[in-house]
Amino acid sequence: MLGPMAVDDVLVLDLSEGIAGPLAARLIGDFGGDVIKVEPLGGEIGRRTPPFFHDDPDPEKSLFYLMLNLNKRGITLNLDTSEGAAILRRLATEVDVIVESFPPGYLADRGLDYASLEQENPGLIMTSITPFGQTGPYNQYQSDEIIAYATSGMMAISGTVDREPLKHGGFPGQYESGMNGFLATLVALFARDMTGAGQQVDLSIQDVIASTLVINQPFYGFAGGVQGRRHPEGSNFGQVMPCKDGYFVAQPGGGVTWDGIADFFGKPEMKEHRFADVVERVRNGPELDAIVRDATKDRTMAEMFKTASEKFRMLVGIVQTPEDLANCAHLAARGYYEELDHPVIGKIKVPFRLWNMSTGNATCRRPAPLLGQHNTEIYQEMLGYDAAALEDLRARGVI
Amino acid sequence: MTADPSAPEAEKLPLAGLRIVDISNVISLPYASGLLADLGAEVIKVEGHSRVDTTRGGQISSVLCDNRVGDDPWNRVGGFNLLNRGKKSVALDLSKPTGREVLTDLIKVSDVVMENFTPRVMRSWGLDYPNAAKLRPGLIMISCSGFGHNGPYSPYPGQATTLEATHGLAHVTGYRGGDPSKAGQSFVDFLATWALVSGTMLGLRYRHRFGTGLWVDVGMYQLGTYMLSERVLDWQANGRLGERLGNRHPFLAPQGCYRCAGDDAWCTLLARDDVEWAALCRTIGKPELATDERFATNDARMANHDAIDAIISAWMQGQTKFAAMELLQAAGVPAGAVFDARDLHFNEHMKARGLLETVAYPPERQMGKRRKVIGRPWKLSKMPLVVRGPGPRLGEHNQEILGGVLGYSPARMAALETSGIIATQPTNARKPVAMSMEDRVKTGRLAAYDPDYKERLGVDD
Repeated sequence: MLGPMAVDDVLVLDLSEGIAGPLAARLIGDFGGDVIKVEPLGGEIGRRTPPFFHDDPDPEKSLFYLMLNLNKRGITLNLDTSEGAAILRRLATEVDVIVESFPPGYLADRGLDYASLEQENPGLIMTSITPFGQTGPYNQYQSDEIIAYATSGMMAISGTVDREPLKHGGFPGQYESGMNGFLATLVALFARDMTGAGQQVDLSIQDVIASTLVINQPFYGFAGGVQGRRHPEGSNFGQVMPCKDGYFVAQPGGGVTWDGIADFFGKPEMKEHRFADVVERVRNGPELDAIVRDATKDRTMAEMFKTASEKFRMLVGIVQTPEDLANCAHLAARGYYEELDHPVIGKIKVPFRLWNMSTGNATCRRPAPLLGQHNTEIYQEMLGYDAAALEDLRARGVI
Repeated sequence: MTADPSAPEAEKLPLAGLRIVDISNVISLPYASGLLADLGAEVIKVEGHSRVDTTRGGQISSVLCDNRVGDDPWNRVGGFNLLNRGKKSVALDLSKPTGREVLTDLIKVSDVVMENFTPRVMRSWGLDYPNAAKLRPGLIMISCSGFGHNGPYSPYPGQATTLEATHGLAHVTGYRGGDPSKAGQSFVDFLATWALVSGTMLGLRYRHRFGTGLWVDVGMYQLGTYMLSERVLDWQANGRLGERLGNRHPFLAPQGCYRCAGDDAWCTLLARDDVEWAALCRTIGKPELATDERFATNDARMANHDAIDAIISAWMQGQTKFAAMELLQAAGVPAGAVFDARDLHFNEHMKARGLLETVAYPPERQMGKRRKVIGRPWKLSKMPLVVRGPGPRLGEHNQEILGGVLGYSPARMAALETSGIIATQPTNARKPVAMSMEDRVKTGRLAAYDPDYKERLGVDD
C-alpha cells in the first residue's frame, strides 16, 4: 500500500539527458512525483551510454538509462520544430517542475526559457543542471566528468605528487549533481508553498564538486595554504594499503584511542611519541607505513574489518568490488536494491534506495519507459489529442 | 552578538521561523545544517565542552586562521567556520543526565533534530525517533551514521576515509594497473550532506502537507555504494568487475590529464565523437590525424590510446593550462585546466559564479575583517541566498537560547554553569596542531604557501 509521500502532488517534465538531470528528476519520482520524461525522437544520450545489458547496444538496454529513469513515463517530442516547441509550451502550463540540462541559451532560442514559460505559469520551477552554470565566461564550455573534476579543484589534491592529478573512477560528480538538483528543487517547492511563486534553479556541476572542498578551500581562504597531492611514501596511513588478500584503509577517530590503534595492529612501538603525536606522525610517515605494512601482510580484509569494527570500535575500511556490493547482506537488510521487471531486459536487481525514511520512503513504482511508450496516454491526457492528431504529429516528425 | 547580519531579508527566507537542534559532529551533518542556516533556519549547534566537535581542531587538516593558535583556537579553525556558518552554539555536557534534560527541553521547542552518533547513542539516551517524537508532535529527526540504523553493520563505526574503500569507490579509483586509491577528501561525507538536506526538505514538506513528522536514516555506506550503481549492474548483467582506469574514460577515447607548461600545471580533455576528435587534431596542429586509420574511430582510438597520449602530451608541454583549455574549448573540444586552491579563489569564471562568499567577522573573533568560504552550488533566481555569519564561538549562545528561548531563570543558569553542565571553554580540547606553514610545505602536506594571501584576496583592507 502506498502511503502519502512528500512530493506526490508534483508533476514534472524531465527534458534532461545523461546522468545528473535524469537522477534529479527520478528522485522526485521516488518520493511520489509524477515524472514525464521528454526525449528527442532518437532518444536521449543516456540510451546510447554503456554499460548495456548483455553488452547489446540497444536503446532499451542501457543500464544507466534503466536505473536513472525509473518512476517515469516517457514521451518523445522534437523541440527543433516550431510545433514541438509549441507543444512543450502547452505542457509547461500544467506542470510544477521542469528539469533540463540544455546548453544555456538553447531553450531561449525556442522561446522556452524560464522567463517565457513563467508568464503562463507563475508557479513553475525550472531546474537547470549544466556543467558550468547559466552564467559566467565558461557557460558555453563543453564538459564531461573529467572536465568537472579538473576544474572543481578535486583532481589537484588527488593522486600522488610524482604523477598526474587523478579523478575518481566512474561518474560520482554527475550523481552528486543529480542529488543537488533534487535538493534545490525541493527548496524551490517549499518556498513556493509559502509564496506561490516559482523560480529557476541554476546549478553548476563544477560548483557541486568544488563545494566538497571544505578542507582545501579554507586552507587558502584562512591561511594562504595551497594543498597538493600526497607524496607516495610516508603518507599511506589513512590511505589505501595492501593486506593479505586485498586492500584496506585505517584512520584515527571513531571510538578508539591511538593506543587502541597500536593494539589493533599488534605494534606497541606505534605508541611512542614519534607516532602518537599528530605532527610527529607526519614527520615519521615512512616508518609508520612500514610498521603498518608489516602488521597487515598476513591479515585478511574480512578479519580486519570485523575485528576493528566490533572489538576496537576503530575505523577500518576494506576495498570491496561491485560483486561484493551486489551480494552485501547489509545493503539487502537496508532495502537498498529493488527487483525490477523490465519489458525488454526482464528481471534485474537495481540499486535504488539512497537513504531510508520512517514514513514516505522512496518507492519504485515503474521501470524506465521505452522510447515514446506513453505518447498516446500523455498527449491524450494532457492535451486531448486523438489518435488521428497523434498520427499526424508522428508523420511530420514532431513526436 | 545576536544580530543577524542579513536581518532585513532573513524573514523572507524559506526556512525562516524554523528551529533546528543540531547535535552533530565532523563534516556531513554540520555542513547540511549550515546550508539549512543559509536557507533561514535557526540552527542551534549543541556540543559537549568535554567533547567538542572534532573540526574545532587538533587534526593536521584543521587549519587555524592565519595558522595562529591564539587564545581560543577551538573557535578559529577555518573549516569549522565554513561548515557551521550562521549557527548558534550551546555548549552542554550531554554525558550528564542534567545536560540531557536541557537537550530534551530544546527538542520540545524545535522542528528538527539532527544527529550523527553511532545508532546506539540516541537509543541509550531514550531520544531515538519514537521517543523524541513524543516530546514534540510533528518532529522531524535526521540521523546520519556510517551504516544506518539497521542491518548487520549498523553498530560499526564509519567515517568517510575508510568508507570510501568499503563502499567500493576505491576499487575503481587509482592509476591504471595500480593499487586502489581514494580521491579528494572525505568524499562520502558530502554525498551525505546532499542527502541530509534533501531528507530535511522532504520531511518539512511532508509535515507541511500532512501534519506529521518523520525520521530520515542516512547510512553513508549505502549512499556511497550508489556511486557504483552502473558497475554493480554491469557485474550482474555482464560479469564485469570494473577496473582502475586512471583518468581514462571507460568507453570513449581519448581522455586524459596532461602536463602543461608551468609548475605542476595540468589540463584534461576528452573527445566524445569523431567530430570532437577532428577538432582536437586541428587545434594541436595535426589535422591529418583525424583520418589516420589508427585514430579515425572511437574503437581505434581506444586501442591506440598510448600513442594519442604521446601526441597530446607533446603539444600540451608548450601551452599553459589555461591557454590549452581555452584553445580546445574554442574549437568545441571538452577541456579543463586542473584548478588548485588559488584558481578556486581567483579564476574569472569562479569569480563570476560567486561560489565563494565573503563573511564578515567581528573584531573579537581575531580572524580579520572578512573571510572567503564556499557558499552553495545552486542559485535560486528569486531568492538570493548568502552565508549568514561565521561559525559560532563555543557556548556563545548559552544565555540567548537557554535563558531566552527556554526561559531558564538566572538562578538555574548559574546552577548549570557552576555544575559544569554549560560552559564557554572546552574542558579537554585536543591540542592545536602547531606546525608552521613553511614546515607543512617542507613535509609535503602543502604544495605552496602564499603569505600575502589576504592582500591577494582583498579581505583585510
